Amino acid sequence: MTAENGSSVLRTDNLGMVFRGPGGDIRLFSDLNLDIHAGETVAILGASGSGKSTLLGLLAGLDVPTGGRVLLAGTDMTALTEDQRAVLRGRELGFVFQAFHLLSGLTALENVMLPLELAGETNAEARARAALDQVGLGERTGHYPQQLSGGEQQRVAIARAFVTEPRVLLADEPTGNLDRNTGHRIQDLLFELNNVHGTTLVLVTHDPELARRCQRVLSLEDGQLVAA
Amino acid sequence: MNSLRYGFRLLLRDWRAGELRLLAIALVLAVTAITAVAWLADRVTLATEDRAAELLGADRALVGNDPLPDRFASLARDLDLAVARTLQFPSVVLTEERTQLAAVRAVDPAYPLRGSLQVADHADGDARNTTETPARGEVWAEARMLIQLDIDVGDRIELGAEEFVVSRVLMLEPSLGGGFQNLAPRLLMHLDDVPATGLVQEASRVTYRLLVAGDNAAVNQWQARVQPDLGESVSLETPGEGQPAVEQVLDAAKRFLGLSALLTVVVGGVAMLLTIRHYASRHLDRVAVMRCLGATERQIGAMLTWKMVLLGLITAVLGSLLGYLVHLFMLSLLADLLPSLPAASWRPAGVGLLAAQVILLGFALPTILRLRRVPPLRVLRRDLGDQLFRGWSVYPLALAAIFLLMWWQAGDVVLAIYVFAAVLGTLAVLALGAGVIILLLRRSRRAGATGLLLSGLVRRPWTNTFQIMALGLGLMALLLLSVVRQDLLATWQDRLPDDAPNYFLINIQPDEADSLQALLDEQGLETRVYPMVRARLVGINDRDVRPSDYPEPRTRRLVAREFNLSWLEELPEDNRLVAGNWWANGGQPEPQFSMEVELAERLGVDVGDELHFDAGGQRYTAQVTSLREVQWDSFNVNFFVAASPGVLDDAPATYITSFHLPRDQQRLLVRIVRDYPSVTLIDVSAILDTVRTIMAQGARVVELMALLTLFSGLVVLLAALQVTREERQFESALLRSLGGRRALIRRLALTEFLLLGGAAGLLAGGGAAVAGYVMGNLLFELEYAFNPWLPLLGAVGGALVVAAAGLLATRRLYRVSPMQLLKGAEEG
Ligand SMILES: Nc1ncnc2c1ncn2[C@@H]1O[C@H](COP(=O)(O)OP(=O)(O)O)[C@@H](O)[C@H]1O
Ligand SMILES: [Mg+2]
Repeated sequence: MTAENGSSVLRTDNLGMVFRGPGGDIRLFSDLNLDIHAGETVAILGASGSGKSTLLGLLAGLDVPTGGRVLLAGTDMTALTEDQRAVLRGRELGFVFQAFHLLSGLTALENVMLPLELAGETNAEARARAALDQVGLGERTGHYPQQLSGGEQQRVAIARAFVTEPRVLLADEPTGNLDRNTGHRIQDLLFELNNVHGTTLVLVTHDPELARRCQRVLSLEDGQLVAA
Repeated sequence: MNSLRYGFRLLLRDWRAGELRLLAIALVLAVTAITAVAWLADRVTLATEDRAAELLGADRALVGNDPLPDRFASLARDLDLAVARTLQFPSVVLTEERTQLAAVRAVDPAYPLRGSLQVADHADGDARNTTETPARGEVWAEARMLIQLDIDVGDRIELGAEEFVVSRVLMLEPSLGGGFQNLAPRLLMHLDDVPATGLVQEASRVTYRLLVAGDNAAVNQWQARVQPDLGESVSLETPGEGQPAVEQVLDAAKRFLGLSALLTVVVGGVAMLLTIRHYASRHLDRVAVMRCLGATERQIGAMLTWKMVLLGLITAVLGSLLGYLVHLFMLSLLADLLPSLPAASWRPAGVGLLAAQVILLGFALPTILRLRRVPPLRVLRRDLGDQLFRGWSVYPLALAAIFLLMWWQAGDVVLAIYVFAAVLGTLAVLALGAGVIILLLRRSRRAGATGLLLSGLVRRPWTNTFQIMALGLGLMALLLLSVVRQDLLATWQDRLPDDAPNYFLINIQPDEADSLQALLDEQGLETRVYPMVRARLVGINDRDVRPSDYPEPRTRRLVAREFNLSWLEELPEDNRLVAGNWWANGGQPEPQFSMEVELAERLGVDVGDELHFDAGGQRYTAQVTSLREVQWDSFNVNFFVAASPGVLDDAPATYITSFHLPRDQQRLLVRIVRDYPSVTLIDVSAILDTVRTIMAQGARVVELMALLTLFSGLVVLLAALQVTREERQFESALLRSLGGRRALIRRLALTEFLLLGGAAGLLAGGGAAVAGYVMGNLLFELEYAFNPWLPLLGAVGGALVVAAAGLLATRRLYRVSPMQLLKGAEEG
């Protein structure tokens, strides 16, 4: 599923984002350009409030920029409807969040099956079991999120993120809620995915250690991405 | 994807997380109320029809004063119907020493076709049911006849030219002709013995009956075929006719029940509106995650819709089950009124299913479906989408659902519109009142008198206005169904006081009227002897009136018969004018008629129409100047048509009266029968007892129903408190982390609950008093006075109930640590 190494998989064209605030407009960034290649691992650092999450949301097509374009696998996401973007997301992107965001009414297995079923894929259960095996939770498929520890929940979330074999995996402070050791295991998992499947990783993080393991480290400062 | 399965899984999750509880309870209660009433109505209606058939002893009967032609009976036999004949005539029964007037009924062995006879083997033996009838040469007599003749079972009596052996004591038989029992004791004999007695001759007063029973379709077919062929002298009797008192009482009970069920639905709907936003907001994060994982709006919509449909199915099944049990319980309260019941049908369960879906679709789905629009960005920014449920656009559909249910439950658009308007008005008034109270509190706070104590109430003016309104509605339901219901039932039962007339005297001759009135006055009986003229309605304005002018069978029969007319000076106490004016008292007013309003509606007569009656070949004409409502269940003498004095002066009249005679004064009856031999005495004690039992047992059923509404009122209370629970939780944690002591926070909350409850209770009490007044006077035609104590009772009761419930519901909030709470308030 991976594109040949070196071609652009996620690209922004003069991206701009302006919020209408009570005291006038807040310009978060303008003319922001970013080109991420297939198989690349990218870390985005930045002070709190600098706009990292906003940028990630735009890259994922969760939000629409006020200026410029976002191209995912060559498709201009800003020209799509919300539903079209949802389908594209389901096919091309995986997500890992700081707060895990597992669905509490579903078991680990069902959580992992969910994106496959949403996309109408067959064989969802077998593929979800394989994904859970890969993150070392093959024995706990029937557990509900609240019966799992934070690290285990994040592993389920990772399994859910790559079970659709997405081109790009986006993560917003994936280790932010975890202790050091558990955080390490999660990091290992993410980079293993990158190794095995060639999945592109875009990580927003505060953690310099996590950043150091990435091929490219960018910092969001005053609305511009600069190499760090 | 399989949205049904996901819907189900997520529903399970919600249930386990306790988020569905109030919503589900509100739904289940509504369905329970609807189905219980539906089942009850279904079976009781069927049963009362059956019972009416038992009273008639048949499904249909033909009555005439001459032998009935054979063709009616043979047609019935051709249609496979059971047939029986009876003859009825008054006659004197002789023993060696004594004589006694008896109401003789001669029956063939097939009698009765519906119901059964009760007999005993001795005058004081136990009664038992039997399907037998007297054998040839035997008679069955009522116990009082045996006593009056001083004989027992086995003795002989003389009847006309024949002698008979009394072989049984007759305890009960289907009372032909509408439940009135003639004073003369009954004597039952074999039909074939009649010729030998020589009692039935050309000129004798004999009533011939042909009874018919069998398959419903066949009976209807028979009726349709014989009806055009009956002529003037034969008339058709159907079950349940001629007992307006019983009908009216049953009607009132049904209306009470229907209304109570309606109220449960409305109150349940409000509970749902209160909880649904809160419930939906719990879904924001989940739906955002799904959208993030690639779910389209359609997929989310399907999943959520399935979830609601499943919820509707589950609650409907549960509610129907409970409704079935409740109706069984209600029936057990009615046990001795309805001895044999038809089997329950599945229809009410279907009704419950439908109602649950309508309620859910109307109240919950519009809000739930807004979740489709949750911005997926919420997975990164938690505050997005919180304002998704703002706005009023979900209410029109909820109102439409309420109206639909009301319409269906009331079975009458006009009534539904009235009740609907009343509910809306009540809500508006509650909201207005709540707003004013909050405003006043705000003022008083600004004046500086109360400080921190009122801060909670004033800080959230909108939420609290809404909350007072919701609490008010819940409390109002509680008050209506407890206090007002009690009052109304008492007023209803008062209509049939202990001294309601239990005897009627009819056939009083004009020259006897004055002396009989004097006799009754002398005995201290408060009653009036009324003139009565039997007349046929022959014309309305310029139009001739014929039974065939009216398609409705009952109206047709009414027109075919003679009306009882009277002339009155004053409007009787238990009558109420609904249109026009009563004639001036004293002197000789212009000739006028006053008509009973329901009859007027049936006949299409209004004030200003001219009526022509024929009495004894003479025409009597006057204008209708008023319409009256008549309280038939008062058992006083009442007339469908009354004339002003003078109109009927030369018409052939007899007189009629009714009075209440206590048990220990029964000797008076003997005197009346002896001194006024032409007068017929009718004993209505039995029917009076029946009506009283219906009232008492009906009241118990209504109370049970009210209990259901009461529960849904409680659910609304809880729901209203839950609305602000989270806010409260967060605030209390904040106050505590800022150093507020637990005792202080609890005191703040207590003050707030007391004020909320007091304000809501005050409004609810006022509302319940007005609603009770309106319901009593307009809907149930009761003279029910406005109860000025209700607002006070409401305020005190509301303050206590809400404070208790509120403290109980928020108890946990003050126990856990602020940290936990601050974190907990954020958890999705
Ligand atoms: N929808 C919005 N409306 C107004 N301001 C916003 C909105 N989204 C983000 N912001 C603002 O943009 C800034 C960046 O937010 P965010 O991307 O969450 O930063 P980070 O993730 O780097 O901490 C913040 O100041 C935030 O308040
Ligand atoms: Mg952030």
